[in-house]
Amino acid sequence: MQRRHFFAGAATAVAAASVNRAALAALPEPVSQASADTAAPLAPPNGRPYRPVITLNGWTLPWRMHNGVKEFHLVAEPVVREVAPGFFVNMWGYNGQSPGPTIEVVHGDRVRLFVTNRLPEHTTVHWHGQRLPNGMDGVGGLTQPHIAPGKTFVYEFEARRPGTFMYHPHADEMVQMAMGMMGLWITHPRGAHPLIAEVQRDYALLLAAYDVEPGSKTPRVAEMTDFNIWTFNSRVFPAISPLVARQNDRVRIRVGNLTMTNHPIHLHGHEFEVTGTDGGPTPRAARWPEVTTDVAVGQMRQVEFIADEPGDWAFHCHKSHHTMGAMGHDLPTLIGVDHRGLVEKIQQIVPDYMRMGERGMADMGGMEMPLPDNTFPMMTGAGPFGPLEMGGMFTTLKVRRDLGANDHRDPGWYRHPAGTVAREWTGAPLDAQAPRQTAPGTAPGAAQVHKPGHAGHAAPGAPSPGAHDGH
Amino acid sequence: MTRLPALTGALCTVLILAGCTSVAPDGLRSDVARHTQGRLPAGTELPSPATAAGPQADAPAGTATAALDPASPHPAHHAAQVDAWLAQPVDADTAVRIAVLNNPGLQAQLAQLAAQDAARAQSLTLINPSLTLGRFTNAHERELEREIGLGIVDLITLPWRARWQGWQMERATLETAQAVLRLAADARRAWLNAVAAQQTLQAHARLHDAAVAGGELARRMAAVGNFSQLQQARELRVQQDAAAQLARARLAAALAREDLTRTLGLWGPQAMALRLPAQLPPLPRAEDLRPGDAAEATALRERLDVRALRRDLDTTADRLGVARVGALFGDMGLSHSRNTSTERDSGHREQTRGWELTLPLPLFDWGGSASAAARAELDRSAARLRDTALRARSEARSHWLRYRTAWDLAHQQHAEVLPTAQFMQDEAVLRYNGMFISTWDLLAQARSTTLAVAQATDAVRDFWLAEVDLQLALTGTSPDGAASAPRDVALTTSTPTREGH
Ligand SMILES: [Cu+2]
Repeated sequence: MQRRHFFAGAATAVAAASVNRAALAALPEPVSQASADTAAPLAPPNGRPYRPVITLNGWTLPWRMHNGVKEFHLVAEPVVREVAPGFFVNMWGYNGQSPGPTIEVVHGDRVRLFVTNRLPEHTTVHWHGQRLPNGMDGVGGLTQPHIAPGKTFVYEFEARRPGTFMYHPHADEMVQMAMGMMGLWITHPRGAHPLIAEVQRDYALLLAAYDVEPGSKTPRVAEMTDFNIWTFNSRVFPAISPLVARQNDRVRIRVGNLTMTNHPIHLHGHEFEVTGTDGGPTPRAARWPEVTTDVAVGQMRQVEFIADEPGDWAFHCHKSHHTMGAMGHDLPTLIGVDHRGLVEKIQQIVPDYMRMGERGMADMGGMEMPLPDNTFPMMTGAGPFGPLEMGGMFTTLKVRRDLGANDHRDPGWYRHPAGTVAREWTGAPLDAQAPRQTAPGTAPGAAQVHKPGHAGHAAPGAPSPGAHDGH
Repeated sequence: MTRLPALTGALCTVLILAGCTSVAPDGLRSDVARHTQGRLPAGTELPSPATAAGPQADAPAGTATAALDPASPHPAHHAAQVDAWLAQPVDADTAVRIAVLNNPGLQAQLAQLAAQDAARAQSLTLINPSLTLGRFTNAHERELEREIGLGIVDLITLPWRARWQGWQMERATLETAQAVLRLAADARRAWLNAVAAQQTLQAHARLHDAAVAGGELARRMAAVGNFSQLQQARELRVQQDAAAQLARARLAAALAREDLTRTLGLWGPQAMALRLPAQLPPLPRAEDLRPGDAAEATALRERLDVRALRRDLDTTADRLGVARVGALFGDMGLSHSRNTSTERDSGHREQTRGWELTLPLPLFDWGGSASAAARAELDRSAARLRDTALRARSEARSHWLRYRTAWDLAHQQHAEVLPTAQFMQDEAVLRYNGMFISTWDLLAQARSTTLAVAQATDAVRDFWLAEVDLQLALTGTSPDGAASAPRDVALTTSTPTREGH
């Protein structure tokens, strides 16, 4: 997964036929990425030096220096993103992937961005959070004409402040973002910065949500709220790379939110501080320790901490359904329902019918049941101790003592020191006389008072009226 | 009283002809069988006449009511044959065999044919001479008149009439043969309906079981607080609907079976013994379908109603000659008389003997009106043949179209609709596995799949029903029964000698 795949290849040349030849002659060759693996950080080959970020399951766009200007070439185009192994989604992205490649520059760099549109409709690129000339802001119709299919536009401005930013279309954006049009923009500080610490690990990711009907491949762009694929960089757990750190490394995680809801991003085992937003570095006095930070819609958060606790620590959105794969949202709860004698009857008409959910949904994590084609399961992922029952906005922070400084490879599961894993109690058994709710809907110890005249009306199994009746 | 050799000769001719026109001992059943040959499944036999049945003839007088027992009027070997057929599940061909052998309505029709034959023989045999006696008195005389007379036209036209009556019987035989084929078609239709209804009933039974399971699961959901009473009631409604549909399917299956046993003439233990195959025969392959191009020619060549009317036309044409003779000489009579007159005073008797030939003078009617009537009837006969031929051609075409379309529809059900329904069912299971849909959604999909199976059954049944109609339209008679309409016209036709006066 550390390999880079640069294809300045045939596909580019063929598709470029629709692009104006004369304009193309001056264009930097667009670079394309075929793999959804995490690429190794791109050490800057020229220009001002900086410590590059690691884009989870992504990559950084190479540039060329042209008369002192950093020139990038973004190609907006349809892509097929491998959201999880075996689960492919038709998206719109940039240079072969969605999200598009991360653009890394240094504070003060002059940047020229060529944007070629290979989508079936017009687009623009808005450089979220940048200080720039109004006409470079990329709002179609407001600050510039739309980039028609087949056309290439040029944006040019100076990276005027360091921080974590994004780029995304500002043309038919509801559709284009639902289809995966987005990317990260990192402006590194020029040298030491009083509010920006040097870190040993710098991770970047974008939150995106899609609605992919089970068994289909293209997101439903008309969906506003009921999404079923919750992603870090358009990947879902367990297909998201772990964040890896050597013990006592200072770690920065940059999170941007381009979904339609907020995400409380939560890290286990450590406290972090929010050291920056898309507004810039956070003043020191405004920082406080947290283990969860809410990343609202259209926001970016930059958190930092010392990875001093070895282990495999969960890092996830705290909305529990955002760590789930696709599931139906109109399912009755089956917990506690006796299925005896019914499964066989249902099997007469549905031979492959299996009982599920009688004890909760955790059974799903352990079951391997056939699903519709190209469907991401509701629960997936396994850890060293069993099914993880997670899918979606979830990954791990892996802190290890012995790790190379630039080693980002997955070190495998954590080997816990003896006696540091929760274990089964083997002492005295549970006191059987302890108060315990046995009948559904009846609070333990509640008075069993029956209202006169109502006794016969209670449905079987329904809570007794007396249970919450004080009269 | 002198006997004339001519009279003797005439009487001899009558006797000879009467001898030729004896009653067919099997009531013309072999003739009927000849017409239905190749149009019925192998091994189909017409019932032998009930009067020939030994056991029935020997039945004690006290059991006369036994004749009302539908199980008993058949000869013993018929019952044994039917029992043997009923030992296995009855297929469509066997249903036809049983119906032809066992259906009381057909037996009545065959008996009527035999009766008609007997009447024909009788009408040709008995030409009774007339005897005229008279006694006249006046003041001095008493006269006794005796005259024996013979209508010689009857005698002269006897060969014609014999031939014409023969044709009439052949036509009646053809019509009875059509009745046999119609009964065979009815038996096939009833069998198809019964088997299909039984198959549909099984589908509904499965549906009902699953709905009961869904309803019970909903009840348990409500009992532990996971469903509201309203949610439970919704699933209960599904169960109630399934129960109502099951009741209707059960009734339909029972009625279809009743119709079948009635058509097969089964009753009591035999009706109970009747078992049917679990499924309709499969659809034939496309290459085994009957081609449509030869349909019209086949119908014109094979159909018994067309044949009967062609025979009718021949008969009427032949009769044109008879009509002329009858019209000209209809009242021609030959009589021999012996008159005795006695003088009352003297007691003197005088006898007069002599022959008398009465000849009508065709002075006003040279047979023109009679032959015009005959010619008109010829025209009518020809028009009816054309009409029936037209109907036969049209029915051949339209029933072939119905047959072919029914096959296409049934094939579509089996080759496309059922696989799609099955695919949807499979996908629903996958979605259930992934917890995208609930058990009740899955059951709803299963219900729609089962209904698709029932619809496919109906489509196969409709194909085979169309096949029965096509078969009848091509080789038997009109499946719509309309072609039998002219029959009453034919029945009003009387013998030529008594016509036109
Ligand atoms: Cu979330």
